Amino acid sequence: MGSMHYRRLPNVRRDGPDSRFATALRGLAVDRRDRIYAVGDAEVKIFDRDGRLQRRWPTSRPGCSVAVDEYDRVYVGETGQLEIFDATGRLADVWRHASRLGRVTAIDFAGGDVLVGDANDRAIRRYDEHGSFMNDIGKNNRMQGFLIPNGVIEFAVDRAGVIQAANPGKHRIERYTLDDRLLGHIGRFDGVDPAGFPGCCNPTNLAVDVRGRIYVTEKADPRVKVYNDDGTLVAVVASEGFDPNCKNMDIAVDSRGRVYVTDPVRLDILAFETEGAAS
Amino acid sequence: MSDGITRRDALGRVVRGTVLLGLGSTAGFLINKAEGQVVWQVDTSRCVNSRLGEAGAEVCMLCTTQCVVAQSAVRAINSFRDCGRCYVCPAYYNIRSAVDERGLPSEKLCPRDAIRRTPIGFVDPEDPANNFYEYVIEEEKCDGCGLCVKACREPLGLGSIVLKVRHNLCVDCNRCAISIACPHDALFQHKVADALEPTLARQPQP
Ligand code: SF4
Ligand code: SF4
Ligand code: SF4
Repeated sequence: MGSMHYRRLPNVRRDGPDSRFATALRGLAVDRRDRIYAVGDAEVKIFDRDGRLQRRWPTSRPGCSVAVDEYDRVYVGETGQLEIFDATGRLADVWRHASRLGRVTAIDFAGGDVLVGDANDRAIRRYDEHGSFMNDIGKNNRMQGFLIPNGVIEFAVDRAGVIQAANPGKHRIERYTLDDRLLGHIGRFDGVDPAGFPGCCNPTNLAVDVRGRIYVTEKADPRVKVYNDDGTLVAVVASEGFDPNCKNMDIAVDSRGRVYVTDPVRLDILAFETEGAAS
Repeated sequence: MSDGITRRDALGRVVRGTVLLGLGSTAGFLINKAEGQVVWQVDTSRCVNSRLGEAGAEVCMLCTTQCVVAQSAVRAINSFRDCGRCYVCPAYYNIRSAVDERGLPSEKLCPRDAIRRTPIGFVDPEDPANNFYEYVIEEEKCDGCGLCVKACREPLGLGSIVLKVRHNLCVDCNRCAISIACPHDALFQHKVADALEPTLARQPQP
């Protein structure tokens, strides 16, 4: 393991009723200005880079995932649909498709395309920017696709435009091209060595940073780790501080390398940064 | 028909008996018990081995040690509907044991080797991680120790394995010895007829 060490920062604020989630906290993202977006209940909440609540608005259904594009449009994945808001929270578009957008648990962008993970059908869908369906990713192969007993499809597009997708039932992170070619995978099962993925199905969630590092969360026991692109473990960010019953802890990384992770049981957003990082 | 039992009643009982047999061995054996009779059962939402929110609690083996029946009338069952059919099942494997040359845990969890693991559906011989697996509890070997139940509980597993009183083994003690010992008041009685109810659980306690 590398010599990087992380320290815990104060949680993203939840002082005052507006900044708190009442029943569910599912999706997390950061934008290019390091603002933090969280969805849960039936609301989007935006915090500034220091964790203060800036804005909030309702969604028509409880959000499962969130992403922000280069024009600050906010995409919220829900059951049966994707809602798209402008930066002020005005609803700009809704993409509905009961079978292709069964339960949208991840969203990211590649070029002008929008990629969404549909956990109901265990597939990543590729749409153009206008919402026209293009192709599936990770579904039509002989490997039985994504095995997700944990119930979420999770992926992120790296700086090279490669889709890094969690396949927790196989204890792997798989790499796909936009046209559904499997390039390979990293990761293996190991219940003792922290370099491996433990339990029945891990990692559950992931994010990538600008350097191509892959940040993952695991369940039972909750843990946050960072890997290099080649699959070597860089650091264990955290293995405590979460409710032990957590699963599917969403994760996001900002431009400073700060790591944000949801605790969906305590409805908190935990924050970490490397030792010695300028706060 | 005598004793006020109509042909329709009799027919109904035959149908019910067929349904019960279709529900599996326990339901089948229930037919041999009088409809109004009460039987003991485990409330899985109270049993500390299966109830949610108990991460880290020690496994409770009182169902094994307290039952008056040798090897216990309580056995583990796996609900296939809820099972994830995982490649690495934490109830089947001791997931803390060293990884072997196949990349799998080298030890099983069950001390009685009572769980059978079989790949199902399309089987990829080159990469076994691509397969789904069926986990069957061989009840004749199981003694209800609860180890697999605790390992399968959310969030580590999906909670598809639970402990159940098997009515073909239970001798229907007036006061179930496990119910006296259970620290979580998880044993309860219900009417045989209620076994047909799809969601059998005790009503929430105040
Ligand atoms: S004694 Fe109670 S808590 Fe213990 S295994 Fe049996 S039902 Fe569960
Ligand atoms: S309850 Fe105990 S004996 Fe029965 S299958 Fe599970 S681990 Fe094995
Ligand atoms: S009633 Fe008697 S035989 Fe049945 S589970 Fe309880 S102790 Fe065992």
